[in-house]
Amino acid sequence: MQAFDVVAALLVVLAVVAFAVGNSALARAEDIHAVYWLVVGVVSMRAAVQLARPGAA
Amino acid sequence: MARGLLERLGDLGTAAQATIPGFYAWAVTVAPAAWSRGAPLLAKVIACMGLASLVAAIVLERRWPRYARPVSVWGLVSTSALVWALAPAALLPSRIDAARGVAGMIGWGLFALASAAPALPRDAEPARIVDGAPLRPRSKIPRGDAWFIGAGTLMAVGLQTVGWSVVVPERALLVRLVALASGLAVIGAATQIALGRHSRRVRPTRRVRARRSLPAFVGLCVVAAIGLVLFLAGR
Repeated sequence: MQAFDVVAALLVVLAVVAFAVGNSALARAEDIHAVYWLVVGVVSMRAAVQLARPGAA
Repeated sequence: MARGLLERLGDLGTAAQATIPGFYAWAVTVAPAAWSRGAPLLAKVIACMGLASLVAAIVLERRWPRYARPVSVWGLVSTSALVWALAPAALLPSRIDAARGVAGMIGWGLFALASAAPALPRDAEPARIVDGAPLRPRSKIPRGDAWFIGAGTLMAVGLQTVGWSVVVPERALLVRLVALASGLAVIGAATQIALGRHSRRVRPTRRVRARRSLPAFVGLCVVAAIGLVLFLAGR
Protein backbone atom coordinates (compact mmCIF):
# COMPACT_ATOMS: atom_id res chain seq x y z
CA MET A 1 0.00 0.00 0.00
CA GLN A 2 1.40 3.37 -1.03
CA ALA A 3 1.15 6.60 0.92
CA PHE A 4 -1.32 7.85 -1.68
CA ASP A 5 -3.67 4.97 -0.81
CA VAL A 6 -3.53 5.98 2.86
CA VAL A 7 -4.31 9.59 1.91
CA ALA A 8 -7.23 8.34 -0.22
CA ALA A 9 -8.60 6.31 2.70
CA LEU A 10 -8.25 9.31 5.02
CA LEU A 11 -10.09 11.47 2.50
CA VAL A 12 -12.96 8.96 2.48
CA VAL A 13 -13.11 9.17 6.28
CA LEU A 14 -13.11 12.99 6.02
CA ALA A 15 -15.94 12.73 3.48
CA VAL A 16 -17.97 10.50 5.80
CA VAL A 17 -17.53 12.94 8.69
CA ALA A 18 -18.51 15.84 6.42
CA PHE A 19 -21.59 13.95 5.19
CA ALA A 20 -22.61 13.19 8.78
CA VAL A 21 -22.17 16.81 9.88
CA GLY A 22 -23.99 18.02 6.77
CA ASN A 23 -26.87 15.64 7.28
CA SER A 24 -27.10 16.62 10.92
CA ALA A 25 -27.21 20.30 9.95
CA LEU A 26 -29.88 19.48 7.37
CA ALA A 27 -31.94 17.81 10.09
CA ARG A 28 -31.64 20.97 12.24
CA ALA A 29 -32.79 23.09 9.24
CA GLU A 30 -29.42 24.89 9.03
CA ASP A 31 -29.35 24.75 5.27
CA ILE A 32 -26.23 26.86 4.60
CA HIS A 33 -24.16 24.72 6.94
CA ALA A 34 -25.64 21.60 5.44
CA VAL A 35 -24.80 22.59 1.87
CA TYR A 36 -21.28 23.58 2.92
CA TRP A 37 -20.50 20.27 4.62
CA LEU A 38 -22.12 18.22 1.87
CA VAL A 39 -19.93 20.04 -0.68
CA VAL A 40 -16.88 19.28 1.49
CA GLY A 41 -17.93 15.62 1.50
CA VAL A 42 -18.41 15.46 -2.25
CA VAL A 43 -15.08 17.16 -3.00
CA SER A 44 -13.21 14.93 -0.53
CA MET A 45 -14.77 11.85 -2.05
CA ARG A 46 -13.85 13.01 -5.54
CA ALA A 47 -10.24 13.63 -4.46
CA ALA A 48 -10.05 10.18 -2.85
CA VAL A 49 -11.34 8.42 -5.95
CA GLN A 50 -9.02 10.40 -8.25
CA LEU A 51 -6.07 9.42 -6.07
CA ALA A 52 -6.95 5.76 -5.94
CA ARG A 53 -8.26 4.88 -9.36
CA PRO A 54 -6.02 2.90 -11.70
CA GLY A 55 -5.00 3.93 -15.22
CA ALA A 56 -2.06 5.92 -16.50
CA ALA A 57 -3.97 8.93 -17.76
CA MET B 1 -23.17 -36.23 11.04
CA ALA B 2 -23.72 -32.66 12.07
CA ARG B 3 -24.79 -30.65 9.07
CA GLY B 4 -23.85 -27.05 8.52
CA LEU B 5 -26.34 -24.26 9.05
CA LEU B 6 -26.19 -23.16 5.41
CA GLU B 7 -26.70 -26.75 4.26
CA ARG B 8 -29.79 -27.08 6.44
CA LEU B 9 -31.02 -23.67 5.29
CA GLY B 10 -30.70 -24.87 1.72
CA ASP B 11 -33.22 -27.61 2.44
CA LEU B 12 -35.82 -24.99 3.29
CA GLY B 13 -37.72 -23.38 0.47
CA THR B 14 -37.47 -19.73 -0.52
CA ALA B 15 -40.64 -18.70 1.28
CA ALA B 16 -39.73 -20.56 4.45
CA GLN B 17 -36.32 -18.89 4.58
CA ALA B 18 -37.92 -15.48 4.18
CA THR B 19 -40.50 -16.10 6.91
CA ILE B 20 -38.30 -15.24 9.90
CA PRO B 21 -36.91 -11.92 8.58
CA GLY B 22 -40.38 -11.16 7.20
CA PHE B 23 -41.94 -11.74 10.62
CA TYR B 24 -39.22 -9.60 12.19
CA ALA B 25 -39.82 -6.72 9.74
CA TRP B 26 -43.58 -7.06 10.32
CA ALA B 27 -43.15 -7.01 14.12
CA VAL B 28 -40.89 -3.95 14.08
CA THR B 29 -42.56 -1.76 11.45
CA VAL B 30 -46.10 -2.97 10.72
CA ALA B 31 -47.52 -4.25 13.99
CA PRO B 32 -46.67 -1.06 15.96
CA ALA B 33 -48.45 0.99 13.27
CA ALA B 34 -51.52 -1.26 13.16
CA TRP B 35 -51.87 -1.33 16.94
CA SER B 36 -51.01 2.32 17.48
CA ARG B 37 -53.44 4.73 19.08
CA GLY B 38 -56.12 5.81 16.62
CA ALA B 39 -55.43 3.10 14.03
CA PRO B 40 -58.66 1.62 12.61
CA LEU B 41 -59.70 -2.00 13.07
CA LEU B 42 -59.20 -2.56 9.35
CA ALA B 43 -55.47 -1.85 9.77
CA LYS B 44 -55.21 -4.63 12.37
CA VAL B 45 -57.09 -7.06 10.14
CA ILE B 46 -54.85 -6.26 7.15
CA ALA B 47 -51.73 -6.56 9.31
CA CYS B 48 -52.84 -10.05 10.34
CA MET B 49 -53.42 -10.87 6.65
CA GLY B 50 -49.79 -9.92 5.97
CA LEU B 51 -48.64 -12.32 8.64
CA ALA B 52 -50.96 -14.98 7.25
CA SER B 53 -49.44 -14.53 3.79
CA LEU B 54 -46.05 -15.55 5.20
CA VAL B 55 -47.52 -18.74 6.64
CA ALA B 56 -49.58 -19.39 3.50
CA ALA B 57 -46.41 -19.17 1.41
CA ILE B 58 -44.82 -22.01 3.40
CA VAL B 59 -47.90 -24.16 2.88
CA LEU B 60 -48.06 -23.30 -0.82
CA GLU B 61 -44.39 -24.06 -1.31
CA ARG B 62 -44.97 -27.79 -0.85
CA ARG B 63 -47.67 -28.14 -3.52
CA TRP B 64 -47.35 -25.07 -5.72
CA PRO B 65 -43.79 -23.76 -5.30
CA ARG B 66 -44.26 -21.37 -8.21
CA TYR B 67 -46.77 -19.28 -6.26
CA ALA B 68 -45.05 -19.34 -2.86
CA ARG B 69 -42.63 -16.45 -3.35
CA PRO B 70 -45.15 -14.03 -4.95
CA VAL B 71 -47.59 -14.74 -2.11
CA SER B 72 -44.87 -14.17 0.51
CA VAL B 73 -43.34 -11.02 -1.02
CA TRP B 74 -46.40 -9.31 -2.45
CA GLY B 75 -48.65 -10.42 0.39
CA LEU B 76 -46.45 -8.89 3.06
CA VAL B 77 -45.43 -5.79 1.09
CA SER B 78 -48.92 -4.85 -0.10
CA THR B 79 -50.60 -5.42 3.28
CA SER B 80 -47.82 -3.44 5.01
CA ALA B 81 -48.31 -0.55 2.58
CA LEU B 82 -52.06 -0.62 3.27
CA VAL B 83 -51.50 -0.63 7.04
CA TRP B 84 -49.15 2.36 6.79
CA ALA B 85 -51.66 4.18 4.58
CA LEU B 86 -54.46 3.50 7.08
CA ALA B 87 -52.39 4.61 10.08
CA PRO B 88 -50.13 7.39 8.78
CA ALA B 89 -49.77 9.00 12.21
CA ALA B 90 -47.73 6.01 13.38
CA LEU B 91 -45.06 6.86 10.80
CA LEU B 92 -44.42 10.40 12.02
CA PRO B 93 -40.72 10.83 12.82
CA SER B 94 -41.63 11.97 16.31
CA ARG B 95 -43.14 8.52 16.97
CA ILE B 96 -40.31 6.46 15.48
CA ASP B 97 -37.05 6.35 17.39
CA ALA B 98 -33.73 5.80 15.61
CA ALA B 99 -33.14 2.29 16.96
CA ARG B 100 -36.51 1.03 15.73
CA GLY B 101 -36.01 2.75 12.37
CA VAL B 102 -32.65 1.08 11.84
CA ALA B 103 -34.02 -2.28 13.07
CA GLY B 104 -36.88 -1.97 10.60
CA MET B 105 -34.51 -1.20 7.71
CA ILE B 106 -32.39 -4.23 8.60
CA GLY B 107 -35.50 -6.41 8.85
CA TRP B 108 -36.83 -5.41 5.44
CA GLY B 109 -33.34 -5.72 3.94
CA LEU B 110 -32.98 -9.27 5.28
CA PHE B 111 -36.48 -10.14 4.04
CA ALA B 112 -35.55 -8.85 0.56
CA LEU B 113 -32.26 -10.78 0.64
CA ALA B 114 -33.88 -14.02 1.81
CA SER B 115 -36.62 -13.70 -0.83
CA ALA B 116 -34.37 -12.73 -3.74
CA ALA B 117 -31.26 -14.76 -2.98
CA PRO B 118 -32.12 -17.74 -0.76
CA ALA B 119 -29.58 -20.41 0.17
CA LEU B 120 -29.39 -22.97 -2.62
CA PRO B 121 -30.82 -26.47 -2.06
CA ARG B 122 -28.47 -29.45 -1.85
CA ASP B 123 -27.53 -31.24 -5.04
CA ALA B 124 -29.88 -34.18 -5.51
CA GLU B 125 -27.16 -36.18 -7.27
CA PRO B 126 -24.20 -36.52 -4.92
CA ALA B 127 -22.45 -38.75 -7.47
CA ARG B 128 -21.90 -35.72 -9.64
CA ILE B 129 -19.68 -34.12 -7.05
CA VAL B 130 -16.05 -34.63 -8.08
CA ASP B 131 -12.85 -34.08 -6.17
CA GLY B 132 -11.22 -30.79 -7.01
CA ALA B 133 -12.72 -27.88 -8.84
CA PRO B 134 -13.26 -28.65 -12.54
CA LEU B 135 -12.92 -24.98 -13.38
CA ARG B 136 -10.14 -22.78 -12.15
CA PRO B 137 -11.06 -19.28 -11.06
CA ARG B 138 -9.60 -16.61 -13.32
CA SER B 139 -8.35 -14.66 -10.35
CA LYS B 140 -8.50 -14.72 -6.57
CA ILE B 141 -10.02 -11.94 -4.55
CA PRO B 142 -7.00 -10.13 -3.16
CA ARG B 143 -6.55 -9.97 0.57
CA GLY B 144 -7.63 -6.80 2.29
CA ASP B 145 -10.43 -5.88 -0.12
CA ALA B 146 -13.08 -7.18 2.25
CA TRP B 147 -11.74 -4.88 4.96
CA PHE B 148 -11.99 -1.83 2.70
CA ILE B 149 -15.50 -2.66 1.55
CA GLY B 150 -16.56 -3.68 5.07
CA ALA B 151 -15.27 -0.41 6.49
CA GLY B 152 -17.06 1.53 3.74
CA THR B 153 -20.29 -0.34 4.44
CA LEU B 154 -19.97 0.29 8.18
CA MET B 155 -19.45 4.00 7.59
CA ALA B 156 -22.44 4.04 5.21
CA VAL B 157 -24.60 2.34 7.85
CA GLY B 158 -23.33 4.84 10.43
CA LEU B 159 -24.52 7.67 8.19
CA GLN B 160 -28.04 6.24 8.31
CA THR B 161 -28.25 6.83 12.07
CA VAL B 162 -28.12 10.63 11.64
CA GLY B 163 -31.25 12.80 11.54
CA TRP B 164 -34.05 10.57 12.84
CA SER B 165 -35.56 13.21 15.09
CA VAL B 166 -36.85 15.55 12.36
CA VAL B 167 -40.53 16.36 12.87
CA VAL B 168 -41.40 17.93 9.50
CA PRO B 169 -42.10 15.03 7.09
CA GLU B 170 -40.67 16.74 3.97
CA ARG B 171 -37.39 17.56 5.68
CA ALA B 172 -37.23 14.09 7.24
CA LEU B 173 -37.58 12.62 3.75
CA LEU B 174 -34.86 14.91 2.40
CA VAL B 175 -32.52 13.93 5.24
CA ARG B 176 -33.09 10.23 4.58
CA LEU B 177 -32.53 10.76 0.86
CA VAL B 178 -29.26 12.62 1.42
CA ALA B 179 -28.10 10.02 3.96
CA LEU B 180 -28.86 7.21 1.52
CA ALA B 181 -27.03 8.95 -1.35
CA SER B 182 -24.05 9.67 0.93
CA GLY B 183 -23.91 6.03 2.03
CA LEU B 184 -23.97 4.75 -1.54
CA ALA B 185 -21.20 7.21 -2.50
CA VAL B 186 -19.06 6.02 0.43
CA ILE B 187 -19.47 2.34 -0.50
CA GLY B 188 -18.65 3.17 -4.13
CA ALA B 189 -15.51 5.11 -3.17
CA ALA B 190 -14.33 2.37 -0.77
CA THR B 191 -14.77 -0.22 -3.50
CA GLN B 192 -12.84 1.87 -6.03
CA ILE B 193 -9.98 2.38 -3.58
CA ALA B 194 -9.87 -1.34 -2.80
CA LEU B 195 -9.83 -2.30 -6.49
CA GLY B 196 -7.39 0.45 -7.43
CA ARG B 197 -4.71 -0.95 -5.12
CA HIS B 198 -3.98 -3.98 -7.25
CA SER B 199 -5.39 -3.34 -10.68
CA ARG B 200 -3.79 -5.33 -13.49
CA ARG B 201 -3.93 -2.27 -15.65
CA VAL B 202 -1.12 0.24 -15.78
CA ARG B 203 -0.50 1.56 -12.30
CA PRO B 204 -0.08 5.33 -12.46
CA THR B 205 3.03 6.94 -11.10
CA ARG B 206 2.86 9.18 -8.07
CA ARG B 207 3.25 12.22 -10.29
CA VAL B 208 0.31 11.20 -12.46
CA ARG B 209 -1.84 10.49 -9.41
CA ALA B 210 -0.95 13.85 -7.86
CA ARG B 211 -1.65 15.70 -11.12
CA ARG B 212 -4.94 13.89 -11.64
CA SER B 213 -6.23 14.65 -8.16
CA LEU B 214 -4.98 18.24 -8.16
CA PRO B 215 -8.31 19.84 -9.24
CA ALA B 216 -10.16 18.06 -6.45
CA PHE B 217 -7.54 19.10 -3.90
CA VAL B 218 -7.72 22.72 -5.11
CA GLY B 219 -11.50 22.51 -4.72
CA LEU B 220 -11.04 21.16 -1.19
CA CYS B 221 -8.70 24.03 -0.33
CA VAL B 222 -11.16 26.58 -1.76
CA VAL B 223 -14.00 25.09 0.28
CA ALA B 224 -11.80 25.06 3.40
CA ALA B 225 -10.87 28.72 2.80
CA ILE B 226 -14.54 29.66 2.37
CA GLY B 227 -15.36 27.85 5.59
CA LEU B 228 -12.57 29.63 7.44
CA VAL B 229 -13.71 33.05 6.16
CA LEU B 230 -17.33 32.35 7.11
CA PHE B 231 -16.23 31.13 10.53
CA LEU B 232 -14.12 34.23 11.18
CA ALA B 233 -16.87 36.52 9.87
CA GLY B 234 -19.38 34.87 12.19
CA ARG B 235 -17.27 35.45 15.34
